[in-house]
Amino acid sequence: MLQFFEEFKAIFEYASGVTDDPPPRGQSWMRSPLWWGIWWAILILLIVAFSGQSSKFIYIDF
Amino acid sequence: MIFNTFVYYLLFLLPSAILYRGSSAKLRPWIIAVFGSLFFLYFAYSMAGTAGALCLGIFLLESITSRLYTPRSRWCILGLLQGLVFLGIFKYWNFFAGLLFWRHANPLRWQGAFLPLGISFFTFEFYHYAWDRKYNRTEPGTLAEYLAFILFFPTMVAGPIKRYQDFLPKLRAEPENWTSDWLTGGTRILTGLAKKFAIADVLSAWTDHLNARDIRLAGRGALVLWLFAYSIKIYADFSAYSDIAIGSARLFGIRVPENFDWPYGRRNIQRFWACWHMSLTRWLTDYVFVPVARLRVGSWKPHIYVVIVTTMLISGLWHGAGLHYIAWGLYHGLLLVAHKIWRGWLGPASQKPVPVFASRVLTYLCVTAGYALFTMDLHTVVLFYRRLLIG
Repeated sequence: MLQFFEEFKAIFEYASGVTDDPPPRGQSWMRSPLWWGIWWAILILLIVAFSGQSSKFIYIDF
Repeated sequence: MIFNTFVYYLLFLLPSAILYRGSSAKLRPWIIAVFGSLFFLYFAYSMAGTAGALCLGIFLLESITSRLYTPRSRWCILGLLQGLVFLGIFKYWNFFAGLLFWRHANPLRWQGAFLPLGISFFTFEFYHYAWDRKYNRTEPGTLAEYLAFILFFPTMVAGPIKRYQDFLPKLRAEPENWTSDWLTGGTRILTGLAKKFAIADVLSAWTDHLNARDIRLAGRGALVLWLFAYSIKIYADFSAYSDIAIGSARLFGIRVPENFDWPYGRRNIQRFWACWHMSLTRWLTDYVFVPVARLRVGSWKPHIYVVIVTTMLISGLWHGAGLHYIAWGLYHGLLLVAHKIWRGWLGPASQKPVPVFASRVLTYLCVTAGYALFTMDLHTVVLFYRRLLIG
């Protein structure tokens, strides 16, 4: 369970730009331009689909 | 707003990052300082009008004063005080004047009060620099470098809180790997925006109900659900903000400190704070906790529990000028003290799966229960807990 979580964390952190190097299990496919193309498309799709609510970031007021 | 506007990316981030990377080492700090000033003027004006924009003058004045700071000099103390005075006037004047007159008419009330853009975070960095110069923990750098540090717009408004000695070498280094920086930085920005729009903003539909009128009408299940929704929303919102700030900085080739490290999965409240708003926790540790712990009046020194609670009270007050923020700080201070006492009694924590899992869940529940104090004024919080516990 813990190992699964650690692997998920490593993949998520690489995919979200927190770390520079992919985890051992994703070395090859996570470096390919195809992977980045699909991932960026998903992120942009999410942004476009949910944008327009124009709420303020909470910590701006602090 | 700001990070979720096209203006931020098209007018400020992309032009300045490209210009910065293509310029000589001598020009780079000035590019940050000029774009940072324009960024401040634009967004401060759009939020608080001319008076808001004019506050840039205060920050420039503080930056010029910083050139006088030398180890053990009185100018450093002036620097520490002026940052706190400006923060005190803009953020806490009406709050403390209100407390002073309590239920009577408040003749000292500042009717047109406004909060200058990023003043809380400016103050952290001004204070850090003055303190560290006083104790000779950082070199002065040039005026341009200091202005670049203060006016670095990706982190200007809400952090992550930087340290001068950490920022300076990155500012001086030649930005090298365009591809890697822009791929990683771009991904970080997109992830932040997706988190903000698809998670934080969507949850607003639930968390907006955390007000007295809706709480009176809601059942217990709804109250619990709204609080859990708020715990996810605030994490998604602020970590998204940090993602965009860190990603934006990366476009310049500058790495700024991380702010979150999976805080909700932590085993105890101390570890939670080590992973939640990390740059603030480190700041509070270095500039509040340690100095208070080192206080000596004759043979008297503050007890560690007093130091912990004081630090968290200041953290609460910093989050906002309201009694509920102070109560939230007190709540977390008491949780940290309770954890310290608990560990003192039981010794090292168990490594068995069930206690580990239980402690993770308990920590999350304690943090989530405290969000009521964070997000509602004291009257509404009392109503909330009364409805939740008694019905």
